[in-house]
Amino acid sequence: MMPPSNSRGTATDAGHRPQSAKPGRVRRLHLPQKLRNLELFLLLIACGINAAAVVLVQLGALGHIDTTLVLLGAGLSVLVLCMHVVLRLVARDADPFILPIASLLNGIGIAMIYRIDIANGDAGWESAAVRQTVWSALAIACAIAVVLVIRNHRVLFRYTYVAGFIAVVLLLLPLVPGLGREVSGARVWIGIGSFATFQPGEIAKIALAVFFAGYLVRNRDSLSMVGKRFLGMRFPRLRDLGPILVVWALSMSVIIFQRDLGTALLYFGLFLVMLYLATGRLSWVLLGMSLFLGGAIIASQTLGYVNGRFTNWLDALNPDVYGASGGSYQLVQGLFGLAKGGLIGTGLGQGRPDITPVPQSDYIIASLGEELGLAGIFAILALYLLFVARGFRIGFAGNDDFGKLLGVGLSFVVALQCFIVIGGVTRVIPLTGLTTPFLAAGGSSLVANWIIAALLLRLSDTLRNQPRLVV
Amino acid sequence: MSVSELTLLVLRLGFLLLLWLFIFGIVYALRSDLFGQRVRKQQPDGTSSAPPIAFAAAVPTPVPAATLPPTASAAALTEQLTARSAAPPAGSGPERATARNATRLVITSGPKSGTEFPLTSDSVTIGRSGDSSLVIRDDYTSTHHARLMLWNEEWMIQDLDSTNGTFLNGSRLAVPTPVPLNTPVKIGATSFELRR
Repeated sequence: MMPPSNSRGTATDAGHRPQSAKPGRVRRLHLPQKLRNLELFLLLIACGINAAAVVLVQLGALGHIDTTLVLLGAGLSVLVLCMHVVLRLVARDADPFILPIASLLNGIGIAMIYRIDIANGDAGWESAAVRQTVWSALAIACAIAVVLVIRNHRVLFRYTYVAGFIAVVLLLLPLVPGLGREVSGARVWIGIGSFATFQPGEIAKIALAVFFAGYLVRNRDSLSMVGKRFLGMRFPRLRDLGPILVVWALSMSVIIFQRDLGTALLYFGLFLVMLYLATGRLSWVLLGMSLFLGGAIIASQTLGYVNGRFTNWLDALNPDVYGASGGSYQLVQGLFGLAKGGLIGTGLGQGRPDITPVPQSDYIIASLGEELGLAGIFAILALYLLFVARGFRIGFAGNDDFGKLLGVGLSFVVALQCFIVIGGVTRVIPLTGLTTPFLAAGGSSLVANWIIAALLLRLSDTLRNQPRLVV
Repeated sequence: MSVSELTLLVLRLGFLLLLWLFIFGIVYALRSDLFGQRVRKQQPDGTSSAPPIAFAAAVPTPVPAATLPPTASAAALTEQLTARSAAPPAGSGPERATARNATRLVITSGPKSGTEFPLTSDSVTIGRSGDSSLVIRDDYTSTHHARLMLWNEEWMIQDLDSTNGTFLNGSRLAVPTPVPLNTPVKIGATSFELRR
């Protein structure tokens, strides 16, 4: 028989699920769940930081602590702890860092939105922070459902083409008359009546990641093996260009019909990266990037709104552009806010982030930069970096190609979205309307990103449960 | 309750500090990812190394059927596959290991010599990192050392830029190479073979 000291010793192996059995029935030894305990510890710290952020906002903006909005901090904490308990039961070996990082980003976001509410004098159901908390509840409930329902990510592989179909339907929904809503120029929302607006494109990115992963695993051989060598690279045959042209046309139609540059860039970037991962050929990336750049340049010449974005970006500080309707006022105010923040910020609740238009959604990063300073922004970026790195790690260690592609694709979509929106706010690239994952006010984005977190958790759990032999 | 400027300043610096402590806490917790697993000295008899989870085919313990590795089911599956398809092409030289004819990975030298590992259709990652399928903990193995994968139904071994290299039948691998059956692959002090 195994000496008991041996099974004790394996507790140092992360992700090892020791089992023992008596003849006749299987019994799981009750060993400490090392990963889950680490997660709980980090989660409690994250909840503490979230509560501290709300308290600091109240002290800074109101000058006293207001107990009525304790619910903002406590509600989220209860929810993420529920998710933690669910993981303890059904995904014991899931990655311990994803949940704390997502909770902390979500909590900081709620604190900042609450701070903008105070500046605008919104309270009760009008308050965006209350709505954001409710959306967080819904999003975390969705994440729990995903972890409970999808017990093995390979189930998704069977529904590759269903996922592709769902993605296209979700993308087309905002164009349906009577259902679609147009907000500040972009037609990417759907809504029933005057309330419950939702951005189906956010969910579509998950469906697209599943579809691309499944499609590329099935077809990558023809995409990677054949072709002519030219300029030291192997270029694909013309007839293999089909998929990339279809996705390109899809993103271009998003630019033209829904007038949303950011979403188009997000989808196309996701496809290119997954194509590169599946085939390992740089020529696809170069080809795709030149296609997209070509399309974007033509769009900037012909479509008024894209042209405006480019002008605002290149010539932001010109007084004419600054003063124009739809000009660079918002962008420049965001930059002023960031500049005012300096190295350590004005302190939560003590800046004026509300001067910038939409400071709680698209511009939340500028608001946080003003009140937390460069140190705070870098902390938030480090959190995103860790989140994405965990996703890449899951993809890297994965044993099946579908899981690999899905893990990297899902985490890359978060990274790219951060780059597009934070790059836009800081004037690195033209500004496009996308939400900062987990932080910004917006229900659909929260739901989508929590589902991504849940899928990554599920992937990491299946991965650690694969047969292992330790020598 | 009113708070002074000084308290607010201290609190806001404290908040930033807390945020960074959280980040460094996470980085500290995943340091094994960044710097690799700690090396352990291997004992020749293998008593101090991690216990065989359920793969200890060499150890005659009264393990009930419920905890046995899925070797049996994998073997059954392979039999079905073999039954359905034609016999593998008889090439010259040693027969290549394919999804059909290879069912297990057998450790042939090193402290765990004689241990088996069932092969499924998944690739097998080999390295010192805790999430590899085949974890080899000695001084010569890299964190992510090599990978065995099915490529066009054939088992290939790929060296993942390891420090000390992977040796197939005595020669160091440079590119992904098909693995013949019953041919030793050597990683560090351990070698294994793919067998029927």
